[in-house]
Amino acid sequence: MDEIVKGIFYVIVFPGLIFSSTLGLFLCWVDRKVAARIQSRKGPPWYQCYADVFKLMAKTMILPRGSRKFGFLLAPLLGLSGITLVATIVWMVNIQPEKSFMGDLIVVLYLLILPSLALIIGGSSSRNPFGAVGVAREMKMILAYELPFLMAIATVIIHTRSILLGEIIMTQSLKGFVLAHPSGVLAMIVGLVCIQAKLGYLPFDIPEAETEIIGGTLAEYSGVSLALFKVTNAMMLLTLPLFLITLFLGGIRFTLGGIVGNLIAYTVILLLIIVVKTVHPRLRIDQAVRFFWGIVTPVAVTGLILALVGV
Amino acid sequence: MDWILLFPILIPIFTGLVSLLTKKQRVGETLALMGMLLTFAASLAILVLGNLRFQIDWIRVSALRISIDFITSHLSGWILVACSFFGVLITLYSLRQMGGKAHLKAYYIYLLWTVGFANGAVLSNNLIVLLMFWGMVAIMLALLIAIGGTAAHKAAQKSLIIVGGSDFAILLGVVIIWHLTGSLSMTDIKIPVSEPLSTVAFILLMMGAITKAGAMPFHSWIPDAAEVSPTPVMAFLPAALDKLLGIYLLIRLVLDLFVLNLSMNLLLMTIGAVTILAAVMMALIQKDLNKLLSFHAISQVGYMVLGIGTGTVVGMAGGLMHMLNHAIYKCCLFLCSGAVEYRTKTTRLENLGGLGRTMPVTFITCGIAALSISGVPPFNGFVSKWMVYQGMIDFGGSLGFLFLIIAMFGSALTLASFVKVLHSVFMGQKPKTIREPKEVEFTMAVPMMILALLCLVFGVFAQLPLTYFIGPVLGMAFGGLGENLQLTGMWNPTLATLFMLISLGAGLLFYRLGNIKHVIEGEIFIGGEPIDEEEVRIPGTHFYNTIESTGFLRVLLEKGKSRAFDLYEIGKKGIRVLSLVLYHGVDRMIDRFYDMIRILTLELSEWGRRLHTGILTTYVLWLLLGITALLLLLMK
Repeated sequence: MDEIVKGIFYVIVFPGLIFSSTLGLFLCWVDRKVAARIQSRKGPPWYQCYADVFKLMAKTMILPRGSRKFGFLLAPLLGLSGITLVATIVWMVNIQPEKSFMGDLIVVLYLLILPSLALIIGGSSSRNPFGAVGVAREMKMILAYELPFLMAIATVIIHTRSILLGEIIMTQSLKGFVLAHPSGVLAMIVGLVCIQAKLGYLPFDIPEAETEIIGGTLAEYSGVSLALFKVTNAMMLLTLPLFLITLFLGGIRFTLGGIVGNLIAYTVILLLIIVVKTVHPRLRIDQAVRFFWGIVTPVAVTGLILALVGV
Repeated sequence: MDWILLFPILIPIFTGLVSLLTKKQRVGETLALMGMLLTFAASLAILVLGNLRFQIDWIRVSALRISIDFITSHLSGWILVACSFFGVLITLYSLRQMGGKAHLKAYYIYLLWTVGFANGAVLSNNLIVLLMFWGMVAIMLALLIAIGGTAAHKAAQKSLIIVGGSDFAILLGVVIIWHLTGSLSMTDIKIPVSEPLSTVAFILLMMGAITKAGAMPFHSWIPDAAEVSPTPVMAFLPAALDKLLGIYLLIRLVLDLFVLNLSMNLLLMTIGAVTILAAVMMALIQKDLNKLLSFHAISQVGYMVLGIGTGTVVGMAGGLMHMLNHAIYKCCLFLCSGAVEYRTKTTRLENLGGLGRTMPVTFITCGIAALSISGVPPFNGFVSKWMVYQGMIDFGGSLGFLFLIIAMFGSALTLASFVKVLHSVFMGQKPKTIREPKEVEFTMAVPMMILALLCLVFGVFAQLPLTYFIGPVLGMAFGGLGENLQLTGMWNPTLATLFMLISLGAGLLFYRLGNIKHVIEGEIFIGGEPIDEEEVRIPGTHFYNTIESTGFLRVLLEKGKSRAFDLYEIGKKGIRVLSLVLYHGVDRMIDRFYDMIRILTLELSEWGRRLHTGILTTYVLWLLLGITALLLLLMK
């Protein structure tokens, strides 16, 4: 019983929903600010993303007529619960690597599909044709990036000989980072490209594509339900780089040097994501699929083979 | 002598015979349902009693001894219960779904007999008796497919030839086993796969098992049958019963009859991985609901074979559990498809859409089953797939990792094809061609709801099947259960579901906090244009055109569509070539030979005729020549 109460605290308050969403929305501001500076704009004030969410929550919600309302309203909750669990698991294994909390790497991989699935269910139940186009594109993006992403993860598993996140962290603190191997570098690059797509950031924001399909899967969302999607995305922006750091850089070290190192690594990854997002135009869906299967996957395969021969 | 072991076999067969005598349709249906329920009760009793045996001698010819020998183990007890359980559900469902179709009397009798024979196969301890029941199930399958009308006869014939051929493979394997051990009793046999002969025996028996289950390359009868046979038949045999039987035999082979070596493990795993990937690719491009589901029925077998092939405790437990889970959710999916067909008279995806609003029960049960088959936590498919993955990681090696990636990617592809299904059938927009359909009747909804509920229960409380079904089965073979099967720590489904629900609740709180008093309904937004429902309707059938036309996949999929990988078609072509060779090599050869003799005779006689010209001077000349020759010889 005690375990359960503790678990509920982890999921809801720290490091789960409340903590991650607050920090995530702050990162969302960093994202907008940096993008603005690159484009020689001033950018919004620090509280902008919080204000956006509160404003959306106060707005009247418009439900599309004839939509599957249950699915339409359930979808954002599904995505939020998925990313909440991922955030909790990833933070908890960093805090207590010796204790496995609720799931391992495979569980995280499956839970990470939930936010995308939420977009698919939402877009599909909205009855909007743009939503349907967005659904098809979202699913195709999943198929495109999932294969190289799995290979990048498999590279980590080969190096650390474990699928428990805690053991992956501990092995790396004993035997050095996965990133120290050439195969680890390739896998990390693949991982970075894939989380760009998982986040739905340019050049891979094809399922939303405001200028062509007016937001695609999100076209019909408004008010609270839209705010939930925004929060989900902010939490992903926080969690996915942390996930990569856990896999490739041995997770968070609770020493002074360790924390500084983590912060630098985190900032570099975040800036990389934002810069790539800001300076690239959108790809077409077929170009994206070809890019992932034709370029990223061979790189991931190379990394995998290198890892298998022990490099 | 535990006579109760005969009940699950004889009750359905006898009930079937009785209903042959009945005239009224209602009576036949009631009898079928009663028979199924009684069988289910008998199976449950057998499971509870455990460790029963029934044995009488049947045929005895010198060394060959075939006895009717039924025995229960933990595994067979559960399979028995599962078979009868699906029998009850399908019969209940068919009462409405099959209503008004032709050959109904035969349909229910075949259903009963299928259950009887399947139970017989599961209980048999003697390999010949097992093969007998096994073959009967195959015949029943062909007959049930043929209920679909004249169009179905070709598919029925195909299934009979492929499955029958695999039965022949089993027979050959059994003969080799008899040669090797001198015994036909499954409990007495334990052969190490080391020498060529035992390897051949294993491969032959394995072929039989995976053909029944529907793994590649012996899969092609399933999609063909899906198009033409009644949907409940698909839900009953290829989705549920055939999987149970095929995987039951496979696990018996791997655990009891043989001791595998590494190459056999790799063979099984390769079959599994290829099956997963190839079949799910084909499923992705299907445009007919039943056919799409049938390709998944093939693809999912891959996970079972892969898990069992690893030879590790977790992998095998995963494979077995996936068999059970698959039977549940695939049966449910086919039943949902049957419900859609019952109301709209079509299963073509492009002609469906937006049914979720008026058929909520079908929608939700289908949604749960679809999430289960895609392995989304916390449903049952996730648990068993997760265990199969763990098994592969335990197996290790570069091939282990390759198969792991294939299996996980296959899971993403499965999700993709079910996104297409859910969008095309239940979400999206309703085409004008179908009228507003009503929800299906109670007797059809109940089986679907029971199965969907089981998907949820076996997912959230995955410890239940692990402790009561899989643990004891594998515990016997691996000597104690060990910590390997304890889920806690790595994936504790109950706790995880609780957390999931809690975070869902937290999301609901968000809704409460927001402005939900003023919710209004508006028209859907498409850039301010007026909506023409038909014109803007996007069916899911074109979702993956981009993927279909990408690179090497295009070539492979086109080949797949034109049945280049169908052994049956290849076999048909092979037979054509063979008959051509026979025609030219043997038939025509004999003709030629006959011709040659005829011509030779004619030529010879012509030659002789020329000699006998009737002119005296010629004869004198010949005489002179002859005498000269003689004289020359004598002079020597």
